[in-house]
This record gives sequence, structure tokens and C-alpha cells, in this order.
Amino acid sequence: MRFLIATVLAMLTASTLWAGSEPPPVRPQDPRTMTFPSEPFTPPRAERVTLPNGMILYLLEDHELPIVNLTAMIRTGSVYDPPAKIGLAELTGTVIRTGGTASRSGDEVDDELEFVGAELSSSIGQDAGWASLNVLTKDLDRGVTLFADMLMRPAFAPEKVDLAKKQAIEGIRRRNDHPGSIVSREFNKLLYGPEHPFARESTEATINTVTRDDLIAFHRRYYHPNTLMVAATGDFQRDDLIALLRRSFDGWASERVTWPAVPRVAEQPNARVNFIARDGTQTQVRMGWLGIKQSDPDFFALSLLDDILGGQAFTSRLFQEVRTKAGLAYSVGSAVVPGRFDRGTIFLYAQTKTESTTQAIASMREQVERLLTSPVSERELTDAKQAFLNSFVFSFSNPAQITNRQMSLEYYGLPADFLERFRSNVERVTARDLLRVARRHLVLDRLVILAVGDDRLFEPPLSTFGAVRVIDLERASANGEPRAKPSLRAPVASPPGMSHRAD
Amino acid sequence: MRRVTRNGLVLAVLLCCAAPRVGDAASLLEGRVVDRTLDNGMRVLIVKRPAVPTVSYNLTVRAGSVDEPGGQSGLAHLFEHMAFKGTERIGTRDFSAERPLLEELDRLEVDLQRELALPRNPDTKRLAELRRRFAEVQDRARALVEPNEYGAIYDRQGAVGLNASTGADLTRYVVSLPANRLPLWIALEADRFSRPVFREFYTERDVVLEERRLRVDNNPGGKLYEAFLTTAFAAHPYRVPTIGWSSEVDRLTAPQARAFFEEQYAPANAVLAIVGDVDVDATLRQVAASFGAIPARPAPAGGVAQEPRQDGQRRVEVEYDAQPELLVGYHRPGIDHPDDPVFDVIESLLSSGRRSRLYAELVTTRQVAVAASASAGEPGSRYPNLFVLRAVPRAPHTLDEVEAALLNEVERLQREEVPARELERVINRLDAGLIRSLQSNAGLASQLAYFEAVAGDWRYILGIRDRTAAVTAKDVQRVASTWLVKRNRTVARLVPASPSAP
Repeated sequence: MRFLIATVLAMLTASTLWAGSEPPPVRPQDPRTMTFPSEPFTPPRAERVTLPNGMILYLLEDHELPIVNLTAMIRTGSVYDPPAKIGLAELTGTVIRTGGTASRSGDEVDDELEFVGAELSSSIGQDAGWASLNVLTKDLDRGVTLFADMLMRPAFAPEKVDLAKKQAIEGIRRRNDHPGSIVSREFNKLLYGPEHPFARESTEATINTVTRDDLIAFHRRYYHPNTLMVAATGDFQRDDLIALLRRSFDGWASERVTWPAVPRVAEQPNARVNFIARDGTQTQVRMGWLGIKQSDPDFFALSLLDDILGGQAFTSRLFQEVRTKAGLAYSVGSAVVPGRFDRGTIFLYAQTKTESTTQAIASMREQVERLLTSPVSERELTDAKQAFLNSFVFSFSNPAQITNRQMSLEYYGLPADFLERFRSNVERVTARDLLRVARRHLVLDRLVILAVGDDRLFEPPLSTFGAVRVIDLERASANGEPRAKPSLRAPVASPPGMSHRAD
Repeated sequence: MRRVTRNGLVLAVLLCCAAPRVGDAASLLEGRVVDRTLDNGMRVLIVKRPAVPTVSYNLTVRAGSVDEPGGQSGLAHLFEHMAFKGTERIGTRDFSAERPLLEELDRLEVDLQRELALPRNPDTKRLAELRRRFAEVQDRARALVEPNEYGAIYDRQGAVGLNASTGADLTRYVVSLPANRLPLWIALEADRFSRPVFREFYTERDVVLEERRLRVDNNPGGKLYEAFLTTAFAAHPYRVPTIGWSSEVDRLTAPQARAFFEEQYAPANAVLAIVGDVDVDATLRQVAASFGAIPARPAPAGGVAQEPRQDGQRRVEVEYDAQPELLVGYHRPGIDHPDDPVFDVIESLLSSGRRSRLYAELVTTRQVAVAASASAGEPGSRYPNLFVLRAVPRAPHTLDEVEAALLNEVERLQREEVPARELERVINRLDAGLIRSLQSNAGLASQLAYFEAVAGDWRYILGIRDRTAAVTAKDVQRVASTWLVKRNRTVARLVPASPSAP
């Protein structure tokens, strides 16, 4: 093995030298047999600094372009929305940016920043709050001042709260316009339960109960220097930027914060086959299971298994069988979405013409069965590992990516060397490991299937796979709200054409 | 070590340009683009950015759906899919055994289409026999395929972002690799652009039909955009959807794809852009030896129908099970017209940022819409195209109200002079945007190849700022009054399905 590598290196060196003096051959080498040494590369690391008020900074200078990027993560999230006020966190994240600050209106902030081409943003997602500033070096002082002002002293101007609520309600009305968004939202509800913070949705009613005081209280509860981290990259001098951040966040003191408990994720007592009626010529299919936390030791093997099943374009089994051979789908694949604080999801997806719905589902299910019955071939395993290891350098493509990752690893309680561990664990994964994690996490008896489409043309019917539960999506009306309303339908007893929608 | 080299390079660049303007993207790019034309006419653009040992490759061909023969809509895009199926060497277990089977399939496909097109009921016995033979030959050919080998080789070697896209104007093939894999990229790309083999052609048609269902037929925005273009253009091929009409895609054949390749994929019609941690001289040498060896062919004759002047407003409605949406378009002259930068300025005034006119007026102040934007050039830029406004109403506000609000902003451009500060804002935002666009290797490669292919010279980027800065308030008024007028307008609306729809 060692000898082989040495030979390859010698050949490469020779060919490089030779290329320098004479024209290389017209017919290029055979790409199938080419080998390359791994690129020597020591990626830069961001420096971690803690300010006296508890704020954590990650800093990495990069002077190629006259631009600076700041990204902040704030320990909050929509998982902390009270059940009656779903949408509160998202509205708070929006209006922190649009509603102005103690000293300037939102429009003034926009005028000032947009005039110099700067970008300032704020949002709150499921398990984190975010803010960012992207500004030319020459405008850094001004930008950071506004960035800090926004985070510390948002004014939540009443008219901007009102506007954000109106826009949220319009978003709810448009929620079912795309079958793709229906399938992903409803599938998460099937796995987590419709009330769980990982799956629940705002409605017009929950948005209407949210008041400006709620936004003010939400911000006051969660936004403090000790709940906030900032990652900075770009054209700055370390000492100057630290001084500037200290000045800009002056007077902001750390505070004790408590976070409400988030209900644990539990398996749902679901029907395994679910259907939503939607007119159209194509069915959206999603099938899968509750998955694992990112810190689960099975995560590494499961990620590689996912690459082989459907994660990797072109080479995965789903792409190969469902798309290339059968021509049943343009987009088909699988994903392992690790949970940050609790269980994530594992799923397969495809869109296929209405008539081939059952065929596509059967073909996808068959690929899962294959993973459960026989180990993947050594060649598939080696190829998947090589793909992962050889593309590893792209995890360090730019300073912002490196710095933001260091920050988010800390935010999610993962070790700072998580990526390096990932790499060495992937190197060690065996075909037997893949079989073990497949049997543990891809349990066929618990597979949840959801199809969104026109079942009048499904042939054979969906009930081939078991009892079908029909989920009704109520249509948006001028002031109505869409709601999912489950009902159970017996297998086989309901041939196509007898669906709830046929009457 | 690498960082020192990189910083040294930037310094050298700054020194070579006399008094660079702070924050001017052109000054950051000037002198860094190595630019060559191979003997066969292929253009090669290289930028060295050694911070990370990776390289992004962009192969852009100046051929898109506008270049398709009539009745073969979707061919440029289907060809792009076929380019991933390999060559005489890649993707096959035995090409000499495979070739006659592929040729037999093409003949059977033509026979099948002939039989179906006869002006009498098709001979069902003959049809069944043709279909049986087709399936049998297809199975035999499939047994010789090394499936997705092209992508598999790239994947194993650590490729990221392997993909391609087809538009009205261009077809683009992209991938990023660890820096020392240049020979791999050359071997794969020079091979597929010399000797592509159209294996699995007739299954891939089905994949593309699924893509159409996904992007257009079951997507409200896709349906609206398709209807908008077919209405706004009467003659010019910008009216034809790039994905193709289902019935035409369903009849495309491998020999048609071969003819398209021979005509359109001439070396002189292609641009290679390579950005990243490269050795410029070695890269040029290897590219010249491989791509340069592809024989020169005449560039395509070109020549498409010119769009006649529009003589009155056009309107179209699409009924669909979704919430309403609105597109308003105006014909405008092409990228080579002196007024081109004026349209860019108008787009920015109307649409760039939260204080832009459409957002401030329709979304923030009047609150009739949840989104409103402008685009200076749709659906392509090689020919005169459309200036487009888009808005998404907020219930209970109607499409009528939103359309009136959009048109009001257009009239304001004609009526009032734009204040100097607003024009200055456009320049500042353009500067910042251009600098951001230099941040990623793939993004820079894409920009360079795009302007080289569409404007005929990547240096177009260097002049954008000066051309934009020269635009005056009077220019904006004049261009808005000349082009953004009713007789030149097309309005497309997405409306809820009426209950009696068939």
C-alpha cells in the first residue's frame, strides 16, 4: 500500500516536470484510473474571545476584499413560543430589524444602511435567533453601531408590528400553494405530532393573539450579552474590532435567563400510510422515520448510509434506480437530518407522475429493504468514503464558513473538533456498521409514508401499503385558516375513485 | 504560507492599478483575469485565488433554448441531461457492442413516431411489435451501461456542486474540485465535449417530463411565467419554454440531439472559466493541449425571428389552485444598446432593498402586497428582452389594486426626476454587490463566463460601474417614457381556478 502511493506520487511529479518542457499528449489520461495525493492544507481557525459582559466572539481576519461580515447567534427559538401564540418568535425576529431602535426609526436604519450598500438582518428560527451585518470596510463603524443598537434596543414600532402580522397571515394563506411545502410540513407533523414545537404551525388565530408587548417581552427575556455570540470575518484589525464591539455594546449587562422546557420527542401512534388530496399531474412522496441527535455515535455511519441510499446525487441507489433506470422522477433522494437538541428525521423523497405513484413508492421502499437485508458492497462503501474524504476541504471554503461553524458547534453543545471527529469516524465505518445502523434506525414496520396528489389515478391504490389515513387540508379563504383534520380510511375497502374527494 | 502568498498577490494587484477607488470591484479584478483564445476559438479565463486548495470550473456554451430548431423545444435542456451519460469511454462496459444497439433504438423510435403520425388509426399489431422490439433492444443496451459513471468518478474524487443548467441563452456545466484534480476535470470535460454518447436517451426524456411537471405544471409561479412569455413574445424564440412543451419533449430523438451538439457546441461557442488555487501557466498548457485539440467548427449560423414591435397591451390569465400573483413586462432593447445601463438603474431604484420604491410603496406604506420586485432583463440577454415587474397581493387587496399601484410607480418614473441621492444610492449598492459577487470562486467563475458569453467580453464587468454612474435623472425619465408604456406592455395574472374548470 505504501509502495503504491509512492509510485503514484513519483508518476505525478514526473508528468508535471515533463509537461513543463514538451506538449502533453492530445488524448487525455483515463479519468477512471487517475489517483491524486490528498491536498496538504491547514485551515485557519477563528480566535475565541470573551468580552467582560459575557459576550463570546469568534474572530478571523481576511483582507482579500474590503468587506466585513458579522453573524450573531442568540439562544432563543420558536420552540419557546407559548402554544396560544405560535409565531411570536418569528415576529419578534422580524420586527427587531424593521421596527427601529430607541434612537432611529426602522426606515431611518434602512435609509442609512442601504444607502451605503450594507445589509443588516435579524430572524428567529426554530432553535436559534440570528442577526447579521455585511458592510464595506469603510462603513464598519457605522454598521456595527447600528447592529448593536438593533440587538440591544429594538423599538418595536407599533405600525411595523402590525405590518409583520399582516404579512405572516398572508404567508399562512399561501401555505398550500406548493405541493412541495405541503408534503414537508405535514410529514413533520406525522413524525413529531401536530402540537410539538418541531412541527406545529402558526395560524391566523395564533398570530392575531400576539401583541407588541409580547414581542417586547420575548426580546427582553432572551436577548442578553451572555446569550449571544458573534462571529466576525473579513477586512478588520482584531484589536480595533474588539474595541469597537465593546464600545457599541457598552452598558449591556449579562442577566440570568431561564428557558421553558421543550417537550421530549416521542414516537407517534400514526397510521403508516397517509394521503392528502391535491389536484395536479404529479404526486409528492415522502417516507421515513424519527431519527437521531447529532451527538448520537451512530450519526457518522448513518450519514454514510444516507449517501449510499439517496444523499449523493448521481451515484446513490435511489437516483440510480428510481431516476436513471426507471425514469420515474426528476428529483429523488434521501436525507438524514440530525436533531440538535432532540431526535431529528430520516426520510426519502420523490416527485412522480400521478400514474406511477405506487410504483415509485414500492421502488423506494425496496431500496430500504435492500439496505436491511444485505451489506453494501466494499466498492460502494469505498466510493462513498472517498467522496466524503476527498471533498472534506470544501468544509473550509471561506473564512465565514469556518468561523460561523465554530460558533454554531459551541451553540449546539458539540465539541470544537466535531468535524475532525466526523472525518476519522467515517474513515473507520465498515459495511457491518452500515447494516447495524440501517436495522436500528430504518425499521420498515415503523415507516411513515405520505403522498400528496390525485389518488383517482393511483394504480394500484395506495392501500397496497396498508391502511390509508386521509388528511384534509382546508382551503384558505379570505379570512379562514388552513387546518389539518385527520380521518381514517380502511385498506383495500376503498378502491380509487371512492376517495373522500370523489363526491 | 498560503495566506502570505495570497496577501502578496492582492497587494501586487492594488499597486498595479493607479489610485484604485476604495470599494470598487473593477479595481479588485483588473489585472487578475488571465484571458486566452485557443486556436479553435474556445475562450479561456483564469483567476488565481490561492486561499484554499480548491478550484471552481465553469464551462459555458452560448447555446440555449433559443437555438433549438422549431418543433424541438426542450432539446437544449435534454442535451444537457445527456451530457452526464458519458462518452465512448465513460459510462459503458463495451462501446463497440453498445453502439449498434443505440443506433437500432434510434431507428425504432423514428418508426414508432411515423406509425403514430399516420393519418389513419395506427396499426395496433405493428405498434405492439415495434414497442416490444424497442423494449428488448433497450434492455440489451442497458446491460452494457456503466450507470452514472461520469458522476461517480467526480464524486469519488471529492467533487462538489457538480451540476448543469440550461436557459434561454446559455447552457452551463459547473463543478468544484480539490486543486490538484485539474487533469481529472480536463479528461472528463474534454472527452464529453468531443465525443458525447446518448445512452439511456429515451428514459431520460421521462425524467425531463417529470422535471416539467415539478417546475411548471404543478408550480403556480412556473405556470404563470410560461404563460407570460408566450404572450409577451409573438415571434422570437424567447416565447418557447426552455424545459419544452411536453408533446415535443416526448418526441425528441438522439439524432436530433447529435445534430444540435454538432452545430451549437462548436469550440468557438464555448467559454471556460477557472477560478481558485491554480498554477496559471500549467493550467493554460493543459487546457490548450486537450480542449485545444477539438477541431474548430464554424460557429452556428444563428439568426432567429425578430420580435415585431408590439402594438397594444396584451393580457393573459392563468387559472390555478393557488393565491393570486402578477407579472407586468415591457419589451426593451438588448444588452448592446446604449440604454442598457438605464434599465439596470431603474431596476435598482424600483427593487433593490427595503427603501426601494416598490417595496416602500406597495409593501410598507400602502400594504397592498407582500412582495414586489423588478427585473431588468428576462428571460435572457442575448436578444432584446423584457423589463419585468412582479407583485404578490396581500388579501383582501385585489390584483387590480396591485396592478394599479405598480403602474403608478412606472408613471412616477416618467413624471418626476429621480433625486440625486437616489441615483447615488444605486451606485453605492452596485459597488457593494459587485464586491460580494467576488467572494466565492464559483460565483466569480460564473460571472466571468456569463458576460463573456452574453456580452462577448468578460471586461463588460469592468465597465458596469462607469456606465451606471453616467446615467442621469433625465435618462431615467426618457427611457421610462419610451419603453415602459401601455402599448408595449404584457400583463399576466394568476387567478384562483373557476369551479367549472374541465
